[in-house]
Amino acid sequence: MSNDAATATSATAVDGAQTERHPDAPAHGLGASLPPADARAKTEGTFPYASDLWAEGLLWAAVLRSPHAHARIVAIDTSAATGMPGVRAVVTHQDVPGDPSHGRSVVDRPVFASDVVRHHGEAIAAVAADHPDTARLAAAAIAVEFEVLEPVTDPEQAFAAEPLHPDGNLIRHIPLRFGDPDAAGEVIVEGLYRIGRQDPAPIGAEAGLAVPRPDGGVEIYTASTDPHTDRDRAAACFGLEQERVKVVVTGVPGATGDREDGSFQIPLGLLALRTGCPVKLAATREESFLGHAHRHPTLLRYRHHADAEGRLVKVEAQILLDAGAYADASSESLAAAVSFACGPYVVPHAFIEGWAVRTNNPPSGHVRGEGALQVCAAYEGQMDKLAAKLGLDPAELRLRNVLATGDLLPTGQTVTCPAPVAELLRAVRDYPLPTLPKDTPQDDWLLPGGPEGAGEPSAVRRGVGYAVGMVHMLGAEGADEVSTATVKVHDGVATVICAAVETGQGFTTLARQIVQDVLGVDEVHVAPVDTDQPPAGAATHGRHTWVSGGAVERAAKMVRTQLLQPLAHKFGMSTELLQIADGKITSYDGVLSTTVTEAMDGKELWATAQCRPHPTEPLDDAGQGDAFVGLAFCAIRAIVDVDIELGSIRVVEMAVAQDVGRVLNPAQLATRIEAGVTQGVGAALTENLRTPRGLVRHPDLTHYALPTSLDAPDIRIVSLVEERDVVAPFGAKPASAVPVVTSPAAIASAVRAATGRPVNRLPIRPQAAVATPSA
Amino acid sequence: MTLPASLDEAVAALTAMPAAVPVAGGTDLMASVNSGQLRPAALVGLGRISEIRGWQYQDGNALLGAGLTHARMGRPDFAALIPALAAAARAAGPPQIRNAGTLGGNIVTAAPTGDTLPVLAAMEATLVIAGPGGVRRETPVSHLLAGRDLLGAGELIGFVRVPLLHAPQVFFKATGRTGPGRATASLALVLDPARREVRCAVGAIAPMPLRPLEAERWIASLIDWDADRKLAPDACAAFGEYVAAACIPDPAPVDGAEAAALPPAVLHLRRTVAALARRALGRALA
Repeated sequence: MSNDAATATSATAVDGAQTERHPDAPAHGLGASLPPADARAKTEGTFPYASDLWAEGLLWAAVLRSPHAHARIVAIDTSAATGMPGVRAVVTHQDVPGDPSHGRSVVDRPVFASDVVRHHGEAIAAVAADHPDTARLAAAAIAVEFEVLEPVTDPEQAFAAEPLHPDGNLIRHIPLRFGDPDAAGEVIVEGLYRIGRQDPAPIGAEAGLAVPRPDGGVEIYTASTDPHTDRDRAAACFGLEQERVKVVVTGVPGATGDREDGSFQIPLGLLALRTGCPVKLAATREESFLGHAHRHPTLLRYRHHADAEGRLVKVEAQILLDAGAYADASSESLAAAVSFACGPYVVPHAFIEGWAVRTNNPPSGHVRGEGALQVCAAYEGQMDKLAAKLGLDPAELRLRNVLATGDLLPTGQTVTCPAPVAELLRAVRDYPLPTLPKDTPQDDWLLPGGPEGAGEPSAVRRGVGYAVGMVHMLGAEGADEVSTATVKVHDGVATVICAAVETGQGFTTLARQIVQDVLGVDEVHVAPVDTDQPPAGAATHGRHTWVSGGAVERAAKMVRTQLLQPLAHKFGMSTELLQIADGKITSYDGVLSTTVTEAMDGKELWATAQCRPHPTEPLDDAGQGDAFVGLAFCAIRAIVDVDIELGSIRVVEMAVAQDVGRVLNPAQLATRIEAGVTQGVGAALTENLRTPRGLVRHPDLTHYALPTSLDAPDIRIVSLVEERDVVAPFGAKPASAVPVVTSPAAIASAVRAATGRPVNRLPIRPQAAVATPSA
Repeated sequence: MTLPASLDEAVAALTAMPAAVPVAGGTDLMASVNSGQLRPAALVGLGRISEIRGWQYQDGNALLGAGLTHARMGRPDFAALIPALAAAARAAGPPQIRNAGTLGGNIVTAAPTGDTLPVLAAMEATLVIAGPGGVRRETPVSHLLAGRDLLGAGELIGFVRVPLLHAPQVFFKATGRTGPGRATASLALVLDPARREVRCAVGAIAPMPLRPLEAERWIASLIDWDADRKLAPDACAAFGEYVAAACIPDPAPVDGAEAAALPPAVLHLRRTVAALARRALGRALA
């Protein structure tokens, strides 16, 4: 792993808060590699995750899940389970007092299936018992009589199939029309691409604890990534006022998608309300695979028109997202897929038809870079085809078409933020290539297939591939993005209260850095999150770096003003002319000075502020509209070695250049990019949850192969372009999602270069990377 | 859970508690227990039986203790003795698994992807089985894997007798990734100059390792055992095709009709086996 990012920092502070630090002082403020406050606890295994929760007299929950992908429920008999010693409650759809359905984006998902099950693993009943094994055995003892129905598992069949749900099978259709439909290019390339089902596979499986309250309410302790939405949905299902339901966010053991949504929280809360006892649920790995949303499997058909110089004229595409049984975040994913269907390229005419349809496959939802990842693999496949057809260098062809600030997206939105795509692409193209194995002793060559694999150097071909990707930041299409933060300072210690969930994205570290910068204090604590705090939105799409970070900065500045106002008055100068550093307040000329403690005079200073970026608008009937607050870009050059006889692939190196706006924490940024690239390697090569006939096959980590350290390539962060986004707080762009989006396309491009095969399917199967050795 | 200190004590414990299950490394067994698929009434732990955790020489054979871990077999001293078994042991999963998983466990689990199994099949290894009353009996490893000879009540695999061949031997494994993974196909190939034999076994593509006996005999007949044992590249390639066709045959025509073609994934597997066999033979004769 590379630490090249560490060189790309500029430690300038936010306006009016220039801090001067002793060279040996610990990392402090924005631009410094402040380590996460919980790093030590996590490394030593003492960090409390949701699965570590305990309460006196707790009961254990187990959920009965559907073994069928599609079936009518004829009867549910819980008597055998209820009668088992140690069982305290059994709940089914009849025991949901309020709204029978939930869902973070669209409320279409029953808490418990009542008349029909629509996917393998759908919850039917839940049990609370005094021992986890008793709970599991009791859940297994619930007799459900099914009438098995033919599952609809092919999204192309969903249009004509009988409705699987009262809402119908078409979740969303976007027919994007941009430019002249009759425009045509001299060169046309076509392609059909298939993207598999990636699972977020969090390192810690879902877990939670629900504790009943004396007022008839309930508190749910879990690793929610969107606590306020979950609280609202849970309260509606419990038939309770929102004030009587509280979601407390515990340590999040990894999140690359949504976590612990209603399907985990609501059965748990119902059992606690029913029994009057604390109830704990800890999902097995199998339940985790069955219970959470996956990346949308997608079918994409593309036709690119270009002129003889390789400039794009028109892109036509059909994009079909398999939403699975319930809508979840499919509407948002489709908007991203359609809007970014042409990628960060200038396309004068675009006709993109997108559908998200319901099937009996497991539900798809938010997984980092959703929508954008699938189209990136396809449009970059098209760019490779176009380059081959025109006999152009693939990087050169891309450079002739890249987007820049001021260009139009096919949605009609003008790109107003920095879009240094050409600079990014040149940076990865011009980065020196790694040495070929023939230049180094063969022992150092890790062949495709691994150290004990069957790789043979003479059958290995090296390929170089390029991809550029883009994602949007924050919610799109008119979503109300708002976050509220409170900053308190007392006795030289600052506290941040904000309901932004730390999922590993680094928000708590960032909040500490912001407050250090503005207030000059070293010690900053970030309070745990619960729904008694004002909402901050879901921990997705880089929301917290932007919106919550912005709110923290404003609140801290308000505290600063409160602190400095009396002094400024006394010194006869404005607050802007005062500096805070190392516990001292000094005037700009250094003549007047006092300590922070003295200025505070034992007072406690509080301020609360909100951040709400400028509004967006929904895409209209032609897929047009200013739907996005901001965009982030990345270019990747992948180097792969392919054993062309066995089709085994090793990603040797990934060179990444990314548009980050501004580096706020170099070490954290580098880890986010490395993690993103590694997740992309998984999507490109091994991660695909197979569901023949709608049944999840092998929901375990033996068969679902996540990248290990041997699978992870050398990741070189060759350039971090710091062109500040003026509308974003600090000018920074969220960094986690865009490398995930771009990596699979770059790897596919490199495998194409190595084998000459089309590579139109992710993950890339070995048989697609087999080639005949040429002389 | 009982922890006997000798093989006979372990056999006695199993005889006394017929419902008990023996456990060595537990890498397969405990996964089944943890997922609730197996609820053994009692466990007999084999981890304290020092006599089965090493190896000794016996009449030109190595007598390997069933409790040898993969990690131990992967070390250079063992690799000098039986290189193919060492390579298979090193390929078997991540270090945590190799530190715990044992040779005997790999045999009794008999997973199609068991990494040591094709090596043992190609070596024509023999199992020494300990039974009640101090009885020791021997059976070829392939008989156990094929289900021709099952372990009886109270019986345990004590040792694995592997001939020392003093000639090149190769183990190759094809997986879908660079990191440790289950084999999509594996292949062991050993030369036995004393018997003038080439023995080859293909793992992971069938419930037990497959021996392409005709291909073995054919290629052995082409090798000049008294000279430098060199073969033309064409012969190696033909051997690969022969092995692959023997292990993954074309579907037989039904009632005179044209036979269905193999699906693309199976064709790829066949190509993989052919490449493994060709590379293994080339490496062994190099």
